[in-house]
Amino acid sequence: MTTTLNRPAAGKATATKPKPTFRQRLNVLDMKASPYLYIAPFFILFALVGLFPLGYTFFVSLFDWHLLKGQGEFVGFQNFVEVLQDRFFWNSLFNTVSIFLISTIPQLIMATIIAAVLDQNLRAKTFWRMSILLPYVVTPVAVAMIFTNMFGEQYGLINNVLSSFGIDPIMWKNDTLPSHIAIATMVNWRWTGYNALILLAAMQSVPRDIYESAAIDGAGSVRRFFSITLPSIRPTMVFVIVTATIGGLQIFTEPRLFDPVAAGGTARQFQTTVLYLWEMAFQRQNFGKASTIAWLLFLIILLFGIVNWLISRRIATNGDDRGAASRRRRKRSLAASAKADDAGLAAQGAGAPESTPRSGK
Amino acid sequence: MEFSRLRKFTALAGVASLALVAAGCSGGGDKAASADNPVTLTVTTFGTFGYEDLYAEYEKQNPGVTIEATNIDRGSNARTDAFTKLAAGSGLSDVTAIEEGWLGSIMEVSDQFVDLKEYGAEDIKGNWVDWKFKQGTDPNGRVIGYGTDIGPQALCFNGKLFEAAGLPSDREKVAELFGGKNATWDKYFELGRQYKAATGKAWYDQSGFVWNSMVNQMTEGYYTKDGKLNVEGNKEMRAKFDMLAAGTADGLSSNQTQFDWGNGKAFVDGSFAVHVCPAWMLGTIKGQLESAGGGAASGWDVADVFPGGASNWGGAFLSVPKSSKHPAEAAKLAAWLTAPEQQIKQSAAANNFPSTLEAQAKIVEAAKPNELFNNAPYGAIFESRAEGVIAQFKGPDDSVIQENVFGPALKMLDSGKGNADQAWNEAVKLLNDLVVNN
Repeated sequence: MTTTLNRPAAGKATATKPKPTFRQRLNVLDMKASPYLYIAPFFILFALVGLFPLGYTFFVSLFDWHLLKGQGEFVGFQNFVEVLQDRFFWNSLFNTVSIFLISTIPQLIMATIIAAVLDQNLRAKTFWRMSILLPYVVTPVAVAMIFTNMFGEQYGLINNVLSSFGIDPIMWKNDTLPSHIAIATMVNWRWTGYNALILLAAMQSVPRDIYESAAIDGAGSVRRFFSITLPSIRPTMVFVIVTATIGGLQIFTEPRLFDPVAAGGTARQFQTTVLYLWEMAFQRQNFGKASTIAWLLFLIILLFGIVNWLISRRIATNGDDRGAASRRRRKRSLAASAKADDAGLAAQGAGAPESTPRSGK
Repeated sequence: MEFSRLRKFTALAGVASLALVAAGCSGGGDKAASADNPVTLTVTTFGTFGYEDLYAEYEKQNPGVTIEATNIDRGSNARTDAFTKLAAGSGLSDVTAIEEGWLGSIMEVSDQFVDLKEYGAEDIKGNWVDWKFKQGTDPNGRVIGYGTDIGPQALCFNGKLFEAAGLPSDREKVAELFGGKNATWDKYFELGRQYKAATGKAWYDQSGFVWNSMVNQMTEGYYTKDGKLNVEGNKEMRAKFDMLAAGTADGLSSNQTQFDWGNGKAFVDGSFAVHVCPAWMLGTIKGQLESAGGGAASGWDVADVFPGGASNWGGAFLSVPKSSKHPAEAAKLAAWLTAPEQQIKQSAAANNFPSTLEAQAKIVEAAKPNELFNNAPYGAIFESRAEGVIAQFKGPDDSVIQENVFGPALKMLDSGKGNADQAWNEAVKLLNDLVVNN
């Protein structure tokens, strides 16, 4: 296209550059600007509903800010100092991490197992797959209300069943650990299927011939799962772990509805950090401190996310050590071959025999 | 968990609803509504308000007015809803119901509400019992709320359980049993111990409501009249707390969850025999009995007596926020809904007790029995219970102190995790953390 446009200019003096026509300029603009325009909607939305609130929250956290009365005095980092010395903040953090651990770990293990089972040749595949996603369709409020009813201390289904076996009723709401387990159960019930489905999609994209050759080599199904399936779904695993972490640290609906009167149990035994933030903003009406908690939570989630990403990367690469080593070796030999090329020597296929695809990379 | 994923959708929904709002606001202005100038008024209430039929009636009488009503399940959630919208600066309904418990907070920002005197509040001032109208007036004399109902307290009791424990079950005899006009909390706890000894069962559902009643009865509650905190070192309050703690320690509390009661089952399985009953509580208990499959046969009744004398707990106001696009129309609706004639209908639908004198008199006159409560003449009972009620000053953090400061302390007592000293100290500590050094 450019050549056609340039043709008339070609006849003139070649020393000076031809002046670009309007169409040309438009063309250049199109090439350079269009991609940004195409991705702009996301970034504009992100700036509007992601970046701006983040910045504004930080701004608010530097002030004495009453929910109803509005902006007060500038206090610098005083809110941060006070929140970090607040026993309820640390209590909420403990609860959050505790509920997060009790929910996320079993949830991901279960999701992986379910996905592996669904990955087999089952009858009525779609039925099974849809079934595990069903809890995800139910709104968390409904889930929380039904479970709250079941976990009732005096009239709940679970304690009723327990007492018919002669077991003492468990104080699902007033004791710390049981209340965490109850909330983790709601979270798991809702999210296990969702994660399983994502992992299943990843498992389906693992080439079947690898399994076949492994089976021929004598690898049992457990061995195949750990040596082929798990390393193959690494990127998806990292995604699932990171989103589960972010979600797990922001649990709100379930503990909020588990005790509809107080914010997270009468003695704050299951008050998560988001719930504490909510209490600070809408019950204690201290918007400045609430924003501070929001920011601290943001930093904590970031920290968790990074740590998680590092750990899950390590775990997932563990079985892949040889692969990494061979990649390194291949790199070296490629460099060597490049040098050899310079020297005019033929050093073909130095790394080729080792570079048989492993784990689809 | 849905925060991050839903963000984009929320934004889209927000943009869409903004567009809708913009479209909706295009007509009108603040001219009187008519068929040619249709106006949509939004109303937010909470709990059991009993307004559904009244909305339809108003729409019929005022062509051009459409009412969009929202009812929030309970007062504390309505508080969150109202605070969030006040903070956001928009979104409050044209007519917003306010609960007495958090009226103190609203008074701090009373300038965000329309002064109803501009819409004729002075002319109808005489409708209400004096103290109710005063409660809805801010320190600068602006009227920001029309009273709907009041919460004079009577004592609910379960006749069947009383009989089984060898106590009288006739409501007049029960009133006498508690001491009639001179009923005291001492007598209340004494009878409770007697009942416990006879049946082995709890006397009241949980300590929280008893405590609210005790505090609401004092001339000064959590705040002094001039707005200072009045908890630490308050001997009178501490004495009441100790009395309640001793009762609870003797097993008089059934340790139920407030506003849950095992979905009402506690009201039908004989877990407890008495219940403090501000008028609106009859509506609450009705809902609980319905959800648990109970009814008149469950044995509940209400007696014209209350330990420690007259007491008021709760009641609501209708207000019009400044952000309303149709303040005149909204004020007109609020005035109509709270007029005596409508209050009578509201009382019939929601089982609460009106705040206007005329409506009170009419209800007493009609002497309609409450079938669910053993045909109790509730009008006469609550009219008699409303005598001598003094409106207590409610400070800005009153509802926080009630729920977040004393709530956990009383739960400590109920669940046997602490004695009176420990629970009181916990309350004081929480007060310092949550209110004083907030």
